[in-house]
Order: sequence, then structure tokens, then C-alpha cells
Amino acid sequence: MAKLVSLHNSIHQELRISPEKAEYHGAELNMVPVMLSEFLKLAVQFPIALTKNKETGKFACVAMLGFAEKENLFWQHSKLDTLYTPLHIFRQPFFLGRNDAEGHSVTDSDQQYVVCFDAESNSVVSEGGELLFTSAGEETPYLQKMKAVLAELLDGETRTHTFVETLLELGLLTSMQLDITFANGESQRVNGMYTIDEKKLNALSGDTVVRLHNEGYLAHIYAMVTSTGQIYSLIQKKNARLSAAALNV
Amino acid sequence: MEKPVRSIVIVGGGTAGWITAGRIAAEHQHDSAQAVQVTLVESPTIGIIGVGEGTWPTMRNTLMKLGVSETDFFRECNASFKQGAKFAKWVNGADDDFYYHPLMLPQGFQKGDLSSAWQREGSAQSFSEAVCYQEAVCEHGLSPKLITTPEFASLANYAYHLDAGKFAAFLQKHCTTKLGVKHVLADVTRVVAAESGDIAAVEVERAESNGSDQIAGDLFVDCTGFSSLLLGKHFEVPFVDRSDVLFIDRAIAVQVPYADDDSPIASHTISTGQEAGWIWDIGLSNRRGVGYVYSSRHTTETEAESTLRNYVGDEFSELSPRKIPITSGHRELFWKNNCVAVGLSAGFLEPLEASALVLVELSAEMIAEQLPACRSVMDITAKRFNETFLYRWDRIVDFLKLHYILSEREEPFWVDNRKPESIPDSLQALMSLWKFRAPGDHDFTSNNEVFPAASYQYVLYGMGFKTNMNWRSASDAERMFAQEQFALNERAVRQALDTLPSNRELISKIKQYGFAAI
Ligand SMILES: Cc1cc2nc3c(=O)[nH]c(=O)nc-3n(C[C@H](O)[C@H](O)[C@H](O)COP(=O)(O)OP(=O)(O)OC[C@H]3O[C@@H](n4cnc5c(N)ncnc54)[C@H](O)[C@@H]3O)c2cc1C
Repeated sequence: MAKLVSLHNSIHQELRISPEKAEYHGAELNMVPVMLSEFLKLAVQFPIALTKNKETGKFACVAMLGFAEKENLFWQHSKLDTLYTPLHIFRQPFFLGRNDAEGHSVTDSDQQYVVCFDAESNSVVSEGGELLFTSAGEETPYLQKMKAVLAELLDGETRTHTFVETLLELGLLTSMQLDITFANGESQRVNGMYTIDEKKLNALSGDTVVRLHNEGYLAHIYAMVTSTGQIYSLIQKKNARLSAAALNV
Repeated sequence: MEKPVRSIVIVGGGTAGWITAGRIAAEHQHDSAQAVQVTLVESPTIGIIGVGEGTWPTMRNTLMKLGVSETDFFRECNASFKQGAKFAKWVNGADDDFYYHPLMLPQGFQKGDLSSAWQREGSAQSFSEAVCYQEAVCEHGLSPKLITTPEFASLANYAYHLDAGKFAAFLQKHCTTKLGVKHVLADVTRVVAAESGDIAAVEVERAESNGSDQIAGDLFVDCTGFSSLLLGKHFEVPFVDRSDVLFIDRAIAVQVPYADDDSPIASHTISTGQEAGWIWDIGLSNRRGVGYVYSSRHTTETEAESTLRNYVGDEFSELSPRKIPITSGHRELFWKNNCVAVGLSAGFLEPLEASALVLVELSAEMIAEQLPACRSVMDITAKRFNETFLYRWDRIVDFLKLHYILSEREEPFWVDNRKPESIPDSLQALMSLWKFRAPGDHDFTSNNEVFPAASYQYVLYGMGFKTNMNWRSASDAERMFAQEQFALNERAVRQALDTLPSNRELISKIKQYGFAAI
């Protein structure tokens, strides 16, 4: 469980964060929420799809990292073997929170934000890593960079949400039917993933296509369509794992 | 060519009127000049009946066909989920006397019958509990789906409980703004007959203007409720009284508030046997609808009111009970000349299995999908319609009566209900067969069945009926099959209890977030 603590230059002057260890937060994720601004970078390696939030039923964009629960096929030798690390993992262990009256930090509110970190994170180290503040109490370039990432996530959330609303309004989503049989004969059905309905996409009127283009969505939609091909590279990764496991028996 | 059927006039703006208007308009909606025009005339002074809160799963299809959003429906009609009916105190009136008629078929029903195995093994579980996981879902107050399940899709089959008044208003808004139905607020004062005997027009007095005018049409749909203005009054089609079989002729209804905003919402209709009838208890999202339907031959109004008071509890004194007389029966025909009756104008039977709205839906569907192209073919459609629906009313009468004939209760109402002369021959024949074998699909072979064989099984074995299986022993294959299915049902129960949220929780989430269309 995460324990969020708001960041203070006096209290946390000695605090060290190891960016490599922050990747542990992604070790057991089979999917990670992603922002519209990342789509083009993600599409070269991950399937980008949508899934519903279990609590609200609302759609969110995600990059798929594995098939089974807790299966991250990019997690190799205690690190993420990716060309690009999704912002939601890269941002660890930092969060935006809001200081309420009692001084407890509360995340996910559009009030005044303060930067928090997860005090239980593996990335909090006593030696090495990155300092957050200089001895004069000023923010280090590392912290500045991480704050920029948090700002990008905050802004990206709204933009990504509007994008998803547009897809829904145009009826462009369809559920993904995935029945995968791996090299060892084991098969798996992947439920609850959604993607672009290519038939509907191709049938859009010229006006709608122009609208999507003007809103900057068209490239992202096609990035999603292309990225679904990455499912095959995920299957390959899984097969490689299964055969490695078989050899070790 | 002969004059096509273009203009359809519906008289009455209750649930029946709006469902029929909506189904016809949605089915025939397009931009060209050929479109069928649907006009609905509704009296500004005569209110709708405003009860009728239990539905069938068919309502999901009806709403989809009308093109409404399930989220809007939940939000605007105070709707909740219904996964079946729990019949309490129907066998002997004891506190632990109950069984379920869930909305899902017994486990593996398509592949084989479990009722024989259930009887042979003398299972400790009741029939409904042993063969259908939905009973456990209801007993735990759980919903039939998740917030991530698309609208109208289900994990466990479901229907709705809804606020009848709000539902009519909801449908009215949708039909007039989205489906192009013309809405006229006026009293129909006279029927204008053509020489052929058809209805040429109805004469109306509008609220806003003095004097009267006429609304002409090619087809008239009588949705005027119990008054049956066109079919009953104008055409004088006789009423077939079924109170010789079904004795209930009065209702007292109240709306009971929840104790607080988090009170659990039952996921099923609860129907509790009483001295001279039974009490329905339907949980909407914002209140309960509770009512006692009884036989005035077997109790007095004062006694009935005190029975309902006992059921509801102290708060009864703050509620305003509504009294509604009921006549069990239906018209001898439903479609005569160019007039067809839908809803209470066609007939009514006690609301034991919520069969009124489903008949409205089935009627509206048949009219919309088989709309006669012109007057000369209308009589053929009318004949089919009449045959189909007479068959359906008969089957419903049988099925409702089935609930009564196996009771062991000793009050006169219950004893009279078991008298052979009150049981239709068709039902008696089936009961004779079922002494030696379980109800199966072969007993119900028409295309127009309303209740499947599974429903008969739930009621029969729920009421403690014994089918004598000694004359044949089960094959090994049958035994294996049964064991597998019972195990599957147990697994389904565990899975459902692990995954499904409470009815209240899901309904709150629908109000907050809504369902996605996919
Ligand atoms: C006690 C009780 C419980 C019930 N429970 C259930 C249940 O659980 N499930 C279920 O499916 N069904 C139930 N029903 C039946 C259900 O209520 C009706 O089938 C349903 O509401 C349809 O009613 P309706 O539209 O036919 O009639 P109404 O709602 O009575 O509407 C009649 C309409 O006709 C109009 N009208 C009448 N005369 C004129 C005129 N002269 N000019 C213009 N307009 C006119 C009125 O203004 C009104 O709009 C129950 C019924 C009762 C009595």
C-alpha cells in the first residue's frame, strides 16, 4: 500500500530517490494507464487499448503489458525492458495531492496541488539515487523534471478523457475478442479490452474525419489501430517465457 | 393501389399507449414522405392507472427497440433490477415457507432435466436453490451485473422494477422528441363510424380550444385502460370474465419510503400469501411499492386494510392507500375492424407474474412488425392477432392458477382455489401428466408461449409437488449429468457472490456514472 506524504524542502532535504528502483512499481502491472501525448511513442512497442475502470465503468486508455493478471512481460531481470517507459510508471514515486484542512493529503482533486511521494516505495533509498533539494533548499533538476511529468499527467488526463468521449460519441469503440493459444498449448481469453472499430472508422463521413483531424485525434486513432499489431509481439514474449520456464524444469 | 395504412391513432397515454406508439414509430421511422404518422390522444383529466411496477426481461428489448438509454431510464424512472419473484407463505404460511421463480433457467436446462434428479436425491436444498444460482444472488440482495457491463447486457438475466407514473412520462418525452409521435391532449367524446363499420375518426374536445374536432386515422389503438372506450364501449366486444378461476378483484396499494438512503433494495419481487390473497412488495430505487390484492368474496375492505397495515408496519398510518377494483378477464377479441386494444382495455389478470406489461410489449411488437399495409389485408392480421393473444391469455390464466392449486393453506380463499371446478381443463390435463414426469418443452410447443416449461417447474416443485419417478429409474448418464450440473450451480453461486455488487450499490453507480453502450 502506498503511503503518500507531501514533500517539504526542510523535512525532505536528505531524501534520495532511485529512478531505476521506481520501475518496481510497474513489475506486476499487466496494463498501465496512458496519456494521449504518449500514443505515438507507445505504439512502437505496446498495444494501446481501452479498458473500463472497475469502480466507475468509465473507459481509460491503457498500454497492455501482459495477458494474465499481474503479468508484465516487459519486466526482465528486475527492470523494465522497454524503449519508452509509460509516464504512469516513470512518475513513481511522485503524486499530486491536495492539502485539505487537517493537513492530510488527498489525491485526485482539482484544488491546489502539492507534490507528494510514496514513503513506502522501494525507490526511497538511503544511498545513491537522486536528491530532491539542494542544501540551500532549492529543487534539483531531477525534482523539476518529475514535477513537469506530474503536470503533463494532470493535463493529459483531461485531454485523454475528452478524446475517449469523442470516440464514444462517434461509436468508434468495439470490444476486443482475444482468444490466444500460446506455444505450450495453454490458452487464454482476454476480456474487457476495447479498441477502435475499423469498419466504423472507415465509414466516417468526410466532415467527421476533418473534425477529428482538426482536434488532433486522427493520428492518435491510427496509432491505436496500428498498435494492436503489437499483441503479436506480446504473444511472442509470452511464448519465450514459457519455453524458458520449460527448459528450467 | 388501395389506400395504405399511414395514419395510426392511439387513444390513451398510459404505459400501454406510449409503448405501442413508440414501437410503431420506431419501426416505421424514416425521412421519406411514406412514413407512418403516429398520433396519441390522451385525456388531460383522466389520469393513468399509475401502478404496474414489475416487468419481464422482455422490457430490455423493448427499451432497446425504442432507442432509449438504459442509464436515462434508471435515472428518470427510479428503476431497479428485478431477478425474479420470491413466493413467501404460499404453501402453508409458515415463516420459512418460500420458494423462488428466478428469471434464469435451471442449470443445464437446454441439455437435460434436473428436476427428476433433484426429487430422487431428496436434496436438502429447495428446487430453485439447487438448480439456479439466481436465488442466492437475490437472497444476498445483489445486482445482476457490474458497472462495467454494457447497458442492457447482463451477467444474470434481469428485468426491472419501475415507477409507473414516471415511466409513462419518460416514454412520452422520448416518443414525442425522438420518434416523431404527435401528442394531443384532449378527451375523446365520440367515435365517428364509417359506413363499413370501421372507425373513421374520433371526436375530441381539446383543453385549450372550445368546441370539438375530429382526428381521422387508418388504424385505431385502444389504450384507454379499464374503460375500453373503442373496443369495449364502441364495438361492444364482450368481456370474458375469468373470476371463476382467479378470484382476486380488489387492490389496495401504498408507497412506502425507505428508512434511509442506504437501505438495501430487494433484487426481486416479494409476493407474500395472506388470508384472502397476497401482498406484492417491489423495491424501487427511491421507495417501495406495496399492495394487497385480495378477493372481496373472502374478506372485507377493513380486514384487508389491516392485513396490509400489519405487513407494512407502523408507518402505514402516514401513507395514503389507493383502492383499485380489478376484474379478472379479457375481451373476447382484441382486434376488430380497424381497431386493436392494448393494455388494460384488452383485459387484466391479477399481477402475480407481472404479465400485463409483457402482453403490452408483445402486442405492440406484433402491431409494429406486422402492420397491415392496407385495409384489405387488415382482417387477416386481425385474425392472427386474436388467435395469438387468446392463446396467450389462456396460458397465463393456467400459469397463475398453478400457484394456487398446490397450496396447503386452510383459509376459505385458498380452499376455494383448490376446488376442481375452478381449475381449467387444460391445466388439469397437464397436472395429470406431471404426476409421472416433469414439465418439459414438449408440453409447450406453440410459437406463442408466454411461460417456458422451466417456469412451471419452479412453481410446481417450489410448492412441494411430487412427480412420481418410481416407474422408471435414472440411467447412469442421467445421474452423471445431474451431479455435474449441481456442482456447476454451486460454483456459479460462489462466483456470483464473489463478484456481484449489491443492488443498491450498482443503482447508485448507475446514477453517478452510467453504463457505457458497449
Ligand atoms: C393493482 C395493479 C397492479 C399491477 N401490477 C402490475 C405489475 O406488477 N406488472 C405489470 O406488468 N402490470 C401490472 N399492472 C397492470 C399495469 O398497471 C397496466 O397494464 C399498465 O399500467 C398499462 O395501463 P394502460 O396504459 O392500459 O391504462 P392506463 O394507465 O389506465 O391509461 C389509460 C389512458 O387512457 C386515457 N383515456 C381514458 N379515457 C379517455 C378518453 N375518453 N379520451 C382520451 N383519453 C382517455 C387516460 O387519460 C390514460 O392516459 C397492475 C395493475 C393493477 C391494477
